[in-house]
Amino acid sequence: MKQLLTKRKLIFQISLAFVALIVIMLACSLIGTQHISIKSVFAHSSASNSINPDYEIFMHVRLPRIILACIVGAALAGSGVVFQVLLRNPLADPYILGISSGAGLGSIIAVISGFSWTLWGRSPIAVFAFIGAIGTIWLVWFIGRLTGKSNVTGLLLAGVVVNAFFSAVIMLLISVTQSSKVYSTIFWLMGNISEEDIFVLWMGAGFIIAGTIALFYISPQLNAISFGIDDARSMGINTSRVQLVAFAIAALITSIAVCLSGLIGFVGLIVPHGVRLVFGPDHRQLLPLSSITGAIFLVIADTLARTIIAPAQLPVGVITAVVGGPFFLLLLIKSAHKTSWFNR
Amino acid sequence: MKKWWLLLTFFICWNITGFALFDIRLAQNATATIPENISGIISTAPNITEILFALGLEEKISAVTSDSIYPPAAAKKTKIGNFWQPDIEAIIAADPNLVITLGFPLYPQQQNLADRLRRIGYTCLTVFNTEQIDDLFDAIKKIGLATHTQQKANFLTAEIRNEIEHMVLLTKETGKVRVLYVVQREPLRVAGTETFINEMITLAGGENAIGPTIQKYPPIGTEQLMLCKADVIIEPTMGQRNSERLQNNAVEYWSRYKNIPAVKNKIIYVVDDDTISQLGPRLHKGVETIARCLKPELFETPEQ
Repeated sequence: MKQLLTKRKLIFQISLAFVALIVIMLACSLIGTQHISIKSVFAHSSASNSINPDYEIFMHVRLPRIILACIVGAALAGSGVVFQVLLRNPLADPYILGISSGAGLGSIIAVISGFSWTLWGRSPIAVFAFIGAIGTIWLVWFIGRLTGKSNVTGLLLAGVVVNAFFSAVIMLLISVTQSSKVYSTIFWLMGNISEEDIFVLWMGAGFIIAGTIALFYISPQLNAISFGIDDARSMGINTSRVQLVAFAIAALITSIAVCLSGLIGFVGLIVPHGVRLVFGPDHRQLLPLSSITGAIFLVIADTLARTIIAPAQLPVGVITAVVGGPFFLLLLIKSAHKTSWFNR
Repeated sequence: MKKWWLLLTFFICWNITGFALFDIRLAQNATATIPENISGIISTAPNITEILFALGLEEKISAVTSDSIYPPAAAKKTKIGNFWQPDIEAIIAADPNLVITLGFPLYPQQQNLADRLRRIGYTCLTVFNTEQIDDLFDAIKKIGLATHTQQKANFLTAEIRNEIEHMVLLTKETGKVRVLYVVQREPLRVAGTETFINEMITLAGGENAIGPTIQKYPPIGTEQLMLCKADVIIEPTMGQRNSERLQNNAVEYWSRYKNIPAVKNKIIYVVDDDTISQLGPRLHKGVETIARCLKPELFETPEQ
């Protein structure tokens, strides 16, 4: 029998996880293909005339990249939790309702149309991917609603079919356009964490932090929904409103993550499950801890991706699957009998 | 309800702070001028390295990619990863004041790298925006301008043009040979008409056996292959050694398409594509390699 979740315990757990995140981010920022020391980073920063490579690498390459990995990981893991509870399906991840193919379609359209402006430092590919992701998930939600207000199966099937349809359109567009143009999309879709401008990071982080806090606010209602829609309704909860809000926020932060770094798989699937296996299914705890764990996980995975076969780099998705997969299976075997997937 | 207002306030404040603290007009220094004194040049592709060496800039190169193996001296320079995955940390550590990158749409990583370096404040020169032979001369000119070696650049261009002209004159007389340049076998992909390889084939007195296609390196079906009437099939070794085994392998593979003239007459070449598949200052050698495949009789020395 697990202990009851008290406010003190929750605050303690979250702050502990947060400290771990900061420590790991700092540690990872000292690892890289070039050896740099923290001392020389700050030694010359006052004398602005000469270029200090250590400072440039630390402040302009590694730190922005680690912060990006952190916010993307938090967004994917947080929205993964929400999709799993809303769809009442342990296989759900942030991309299950077609965000991936929607983003892909958007980016291909951007490449074909050949725009070359930037919006807040984002290329047309990223902006169109964002629009595609949001548009697709709205379409899926709309179709799902037509099949019935709380028909999860309808929503899932709509997601799967829209996903397949858009994937087919992507393949069609790839085969009828000049192939060299499309390469930039494929590169982008593979998931790409690289250093970003500080303004982009700041705005992205704002959306993702606010979204995660908002999801945390509605976590008691999510707990009720995980018992079943009817049970939640009988507890006096406006289920369709909670579903809509949770769905919209999760879709928004996933789309922002996709816009920032392309498609990075696996984080949104295994991190929520891992946290659920260890800490139990209470969403007040599961949501913040998943977000922070997701951030830690992606920061570590990205650090491995950029150092393991240095000077070349692996796509970060490879690391999340290769390292995360076995670790998750181990966790699954060890603790699956102790907990149930949802509050059932 | 209060907590939601609190969150909204936080979010708005956060965004206002963002706008206030950081400049929205990003990467405006993209047109940063190239410094007067070039001291450390980084090349992010093997053909750029070759051009730099051909312009006599060996001393000023501070690092190259690991696939820059020609001229041999290039292999001794500091490495910054390979051209499709350059390592930005290694580039910064090499402390360059000019980074030369590829503009090929085929390699978006290069474009991405240039954008990132520009954002940090490094000077990047992008060359090769299309895949045409003219682009090589354009690149040589641009690099010459940036490094104050215009004269050498003009010489180099003239030399390459001369050599190619020589090859064109040599091969012009005899009729055009239909060539199939096979990039990949499964699925079959060949060089289309929009490529510089197609240009090289034309210069070497041949014509592409495949007509105009949408894609640059189109996948082609068996039917199209049967109808292409190629007189010569050329396959690049793609860096593999052991050319005899590759040659036998190629003859065996193509023997299934009996009615292609090239197969019937066993005119199938596996060539070292070092000079063919990159647009570099040894372009004329590449044209010659192709010409030797198309019209070997022109290259037989008369004494024998």
